[in-house]
Amino acid sequence: MANRFTPGRAGWLRLLTLGFAAAVSLTAGIAFLDLIGGNRPVFLDWLRTILLVLTGFWLVWGGTIGLLGALSPKSRRLMDLTRPEGKTAILVPIYNEDPVETFARIAAMNRQIVAKGLGEHFHFAILSDTTSLEVAAEEASEFERLIVEPDAPGRIFYRRRERNVGRKAGNIEDFIARSGAAYDYAIILDADSLMEAETMLAMVRRMDSDPKLGLLQTVPVVIAARTLFGRMMAFSSAYFSRYFARGSAMLQGEDGPYWGHNAIVRVRAFASCCGLPVLSGKPPYGGHILSHDYVEAALLARGGWKVEVDPELLGSFEQGPENLIEYAKRDRRWCQGNLQHRRLIAAPGLKFWSRFTFVQGIMAYLASPLWLLLMAASLLSSLTPDSGGERWGATPWVIGAGVLATLLLPKFAIALRGAMDGTNAAFGGWRIIPSVLSEIVISTVIAPVLLGFQSRAVFQILFGMDGGWPATERDAKAVPLKTAFSASWWIVLAALAALVFMAYAGPAFLPWLLPVAGPALLAPFVIWATARGGERPVSTWLFSTANERAPSPIIVEADAILASWRATEPVVTVGLAEVAVHA
Amino acid sequence: MKHQPFQPIDGLPNAPLAMPKQTLERGPAFGGFFKAFFLVWQRN
Repeated sequence: MANRFTPGRAGWLRLLTLGFAAAVSLTAGIAFLDLIGGNRPVFLDWLRTILLVLTGFWLVWGGTIGLLGALSPKSRRLMDLTRPEGKTAILVPIYNEDPVETFARIAAMNRQIVAKGLGEHFHFAILSDTTSLEVAAEEASEFERLIVEPDAPGRIFYRRRERNVGRKAGNIEDFIARSGAAYDYAIILDADSLMEAETMLAMVRRMDSDPKLGLLQTVPVVIAARTLFGRMMAFSSAYFSRYFARGSAMLQGEDGPYWGHNAIVRVRAFASCCGLPVLSGKPPYGGHILSHDYVEAALLARGGWKVEVDPELLGSFEQGPENLIEYAKRDRRWCQGNLQHRRLIAAPGLKFWSRFTFVQGIMAYLASPLWLLLMAASLLSSLTPDSGGERWGATPWVIGAGVLATLLLPKFAIALRGAMDGTNAAFGGWRIIPSVLSEIVISTVIAPVLLGFQSRAVFQILFGMDGGWPATERDAKAVPLKTAFSASWWIVLAALAALVFMAYAGPAFLPWLLPVAGPALLAPFVIWATARGGERPVSTWLFSTANERAPSPIIVEADAILASWRATEPVVTVGLAEVAVHA
Repeated sequence: MKHQPFQPIDGLPNAPLAMPKQTLERGPAFGGFFKAFFLVWQRN
């Protein structure tokens, strides 16, 4: 299929926002070059300017999406909750996660579906890729509880693959190859996903009513966080992300994203377009495609199907990492997956926006080492004498103010919009102010630590190291100081070296290094302090979300089932060897 | 604690659907050109 650039609103918006981001970052680059090199810039000045423009572009681009979301009107589409025409499989791929929690969530979703009289339209398939025999035995034993749930026999299935070929994408592919023709649609969830039955019904009705719609993605909100870090991420996802997603949806149009879960796909479209090949060569760039979701969205768009995201579809939830170490572990996996996409940017027939999405995903991780390189070049330049020359008068304060405005303006615009559209009221009214301010402060403090982790991940991949496929421990909560130190001592050393170097080479510039080097120097304490929480959340008012204040019915149901299951012994199965395996 | 023999728990519908592998990689542009024009004797 020919490479097509979607004309119309999305096309013009893309042109405008890309042009705006380019203009702002180039202007910042010119001001920066004037500041550091005057009219006689040397090699290092040019290098630093190019790095600033490159990294600044993506920063401005991200901010523009947030602003666009804050300024855009809310969609007035009503949820169609009439009876569905198509039959849907709700797929839950699992991989060494806690089966009690996952199955309790499935039980809750099933109870809602059955209570609405929709049982015949929705089946569940638990697709286990679990490698631990102990966890597999637990899965089998917990399934005994699930199968006695309302209308479960013949509607809720479990199977485990002995060899997890192709990882999660291979797991889904295996299901489609065996049972795909029995279903019109598949709602793909993660082990930690939770969805209101009404949301699932509305998604199915959207597919029923638009035969060209290949994939519809919801914007899942992070729930059940307890640590400071986890609660901050949950607040950010519940409060800011919906607006960012709204801006993103306007730009993406029908070439939208797929984030791998909490989405519905048209099974026949998915089967005909999304059979992923194994890339030639060895990992990290070759082998199975890791970040399969972006690729599947691109392939559906290539096949002429609409891929849309709908930020207004509420009732879609997930869980997130509870501390910086778990976050960095997940990031390492995503980083390798995104960098692998460099092999696919030129894939035949892809739409322009799909290629751009690959570049955007790569830059999300490459930006960290580029920032680091900018700082290293700035440290080095303090050794060289100022080449002098005439200057227009740009000061470091102007550049600093520009960076601050780029980072803060979208968040303040969202807070203002939230005050007008009723979002703030759902989040506790005035309590939104300390939460927004704390989010800004904490995300600023953890940014240099994340910069360290992300830069290391990129360098590891550039040197050909495969990170494998470690499961994210969403329950991992408190991090002892010793663990935090052993995970981040090298960040402390790097920050110390930079500070000592600057103290000798250019003490006048030391204050400009401190906002980055300071938190990096305290990295173990930052990791430890933000992982505080445990069984009782660190505070109930800070980072309070709408779903904490008035929990969605599915959250209440899932929590109640989990509590009752935790209180009772599971049915014990005879032996590990008898766990059903489909190789 | 209740013990009971474990029952087979698969049972998914037997309704296969083909999922053909997609092409995502391009052949090396210059390598293909080189082979086509300069290594013609290898065609046999």
